[in-house]
Amino acid sequence: MKRCITLIILSGLVMVLAAGPVDAQGPIKIGFFAPLTGFAAADGASAKHSAEIAVDEINGAGGIKGRKLELVVYDDRHDSKEAVAVANKLIEKDQVVGVVSGSYSMPSRVTAPIFAKAGVPMTVAYAVHPDVTKAGPCVFRNGFLGQVEGAAGAESAVKIQKARRIAVLTVDNDFGRVASAAFIERAKKLGAEIHSEQVYKLGEKEFGPYLTKIKDEPIDLIYHTSYYNEGSQIARKARELGIKAALEGTEGIDSPKFLELAGPAAEGVTFTTNLNRDDPRPEVQNFLKRYQAKAGTGADMVGASAYDAVRILARGIEAGGTEAKAICGALTGLRDYHGITGKITRFVKGEVTKPVQIQIVKDGKVRSFAVIDNPEVITPPVQ
Amino acid sequence: MSLLLQQLVNGLTIGSLYALMALGLTMVYGVLRVLHIAHAAVFTLGAYGGLWTFAATGSFWLALLGAMAIAVAAGLAMERWVYWPLLAKPPIATLIASIGVFIALEEVYRIVAGPEPHAFSVPLRVRDVRLAGVLVTAPQVLVMAVTVALLVALWLFLTRTSLGLAVRAVSQDREMAAACAMNVRRIVSLNFALGSALAGAAGMLVGVYYNSVSPTMGDVTAYKGLAIIVLGGLGSIPGTVLGALLIGIVETLFIGLIEFPFPRDAWAFLAMIAVFLLRPQGLLGR
Repeated sequence: MKRCITLIILSGLVMVLAAGPVDAQGPIKIGFFAPLTGFAAADGASAKHSAEIAVDEINGAGGIKGRKLELVVYDDRHDSKEAVAVANKLIEKDQVVGVVSGSYSMPSRVTAPIFAKAGVPMTVAYAVHPDVTKAGPCVFRNGFLGQVEGAAGAESAVKIQKARRIAVLTVDNDFGRVASAAFIERAKKLGAEIHSEQVYKLGEKEFGPYLTKIKDEPIDLIYHTSYYNEGSQIARKARELGIKAALEGTEGIDSPKFLELAGPAAEGVTFTTNLNRDDPRPEVQNFLKRYQAKAGTGADMVGASAYDAVRILARGIEAGGTEAKAICGALTGLRDYHGITGKITRFVKGEVTKPVQIQIVKDGKVRSFAVIDNPEVITPPVQ
Repeated sequence: MSLLLQQLVNGLTIGSLYALMALGLTMVYGVLRVLHIAHAAVFTLGAYGGLWTFAATGSFWLALLGAMAIAVAAGLAMERWVYWPLLAKPPIATLIASIGVFIALEEVYRIVAGPEPHAFSVPLRVRDVRLAGVLVTAPQVLVMAVTVALLVALWLFLTRTSLGLAVRAVSQDREMAAACAMNVRRIVSLNFALGSALAGAAGMLVGVYYNSVSPTMGDVTAYKGLAIIVLGGLGSIPGTVLGALLIGIVETLFIGLIEFPFPRDAWAFLAMIAVFLLRPQGLLGR
C-alpha cells in the first residue's frame, strides 16, 4: 500500500516536471556549444567564459522583459557526431529558444541545418565556413568570412605596410585556402608581387623547410593563414633564421597563447581580427576587464565574438519575443548594432558587414594598428 | 647547393628528435617483442617533467635530468604493472593495453595540466653556427649536441659494459639468456629505463625546440615512431637511428626543395610499406 502511494506521488511529480517548460515566467533558455575538451579546448573555454559574462550582464540588468536568461552549455569536443547529439539535445530535451555556436566551422556546419529544420534561431560567434549561414534564413554570423579577412589582410599589407613582394604560407583547410586566395587576389590587384605560396598541413610544427626556402629571397612580408600553434612556430622560426620580412596573420593567431608561445618573436606581428583592444568604448573596455578577472588571461577574438553572438541573440529575443519567427524577423531587421567586435550595419543573408581591425604586437601587448573599412573589401561576397 | 645543405641541417635536426623518441620503442621491442605505444605518453611526460623541473630550478640541465627521471619512473611502472603481467597473453593483449595506457595518460595530462599548450622558453647559451654559408641555429645546435651525446653514451654502454652485453644478450634470445643464469627480469627493466630516459629527453627537447608543451604532443610521434622502427629493422638500434634520420631528411627535402604536394607525415608510412614489401627485416634488421 505504502509503495502504491509513493508511486502515485512520484508519477504526479513526473507530470509536473514534464510540464515545466510551458511556464512562461521561467528563465529563457538559450543553447550554447563549444569545444570544451580536445585540441580546441582553449578556444572553447574562452567562448564559454565570454558567453557567461554576456548572460550575467543581461541578468544583472534585469534580464529580458523581466525574465532571466539561462545558458545551456554543452561540449561538442570538436566532433561532428557529438555536435549532432548536442544539437538534438538542445532542441528536444532543453527546448531552447535560440542557440549560439561558440565553436569552430565543422561543428557549426553540421548543426546549423538541424537547428534550421527545427526552426531554432542560431547566431554563430566566429566559425568561418560559408556554408554555415546557408543552412537557413535564421542563421546569423558575427565573424568575418575568410574572403573578407584575406582581402583586408592584403589592404593592410600592400597599402599600409607598403609590401611589394609577398610570400604566402597557407594552412590546408577551408579557412586557410579561402583567406589566402582572397589575399593573393587582392594583393595582386593592388600591385604587389606574390613571390610564392606554400601550403602546410594543420598542426605543422616544423617550419624550417618552408622558411629556409624563402630565407634569402628579397621578400617584404610573409602572409600566413594559421592558428596560434602554427603561427607562433612560423614567427619563431622566421626570426631564428634571421628573416627580416614583416609577418601578417589572421584572427587564428588572435590569442594570448600566440604571445606566450611565440615569445619575443611575436613582436611586430600584425593580424586581421574583429576585436580592437584599444577601442575606447566603455562596453569593450568593460568586457576586457571582466574577461581578465574571470579567466585570468587577456580576452581574444573568440571570446569577444561569443559575447557578441549571445548579445545579438538576446537582442532578437528582446525585440521579437521567444517565438522563433519573431526572433528571426527582429535579427533580419537589425540595423547599426554596436557589438564589442564592431558595428554591424546589418545582416545580409546572415553575414555581417563591419570594419576589419588590424592589430599589432607591441612590447608584448596587442595594440591597434589600422582599421580596414573600404566597403569594396569588407562587404561579404554573398550572392 | 647552399639551400640543399641548409635543408639537410633542418632534416637532421628533426631526424635527431625522431631518433631519440624511437630508440626506446625499438629497445622495448627488442627485449619483450611488444609494440610499446604508450612510449609516446612517456615522451610527453618527459616534456612536462622538464617544464616543471625548469620552473622549480631554472636550470636547463637539471630540467633535462628531471625529464629523464620522471620518464624512467613512468616507463618502469608500465613495465611492472602493464607489460610484465600480460607477457604470457597473446601479443594483441599487450598492444591493446599499451594503446589504452597511452590514451588514458593523455587525458590525465589534459586534466592535470590543462588542454592548452604551455610555453617552455629556456634562455639558450649556445650560439648560431655558420659553416661555409650554412646556418645552424642555436636551438638546432642544442638538439643535435644533446642527441649525439645521448647516443654516444648509449652506444658505449651497450658495447663497452658487461651490463650492456647482458642487454644485448636478452634482446637476442630471452630464453637462452635466462638459461645462462641471467636475471632477465632486471635486464628488461633496465631496458625500459634506458628507453624511457631517452624518450623523456626527447620530449623535453621537443618542448624547448618548439617552445610548446601540450597533452597531445605525443600523437604524431606515437605512430611515426612505429614506422621508423619498422624501417630500421625492429629491435635494431643503429637501424632505428638511420631510419629516423632518413625520415627526417626525406620529409624536409620534399617540402623544402622539391615542391611536391604530399603530406609530410605520409613519407614515414610509405617507407614502412616499402620495407614490408621489399625488405621485411628492415634496413639494418637481422
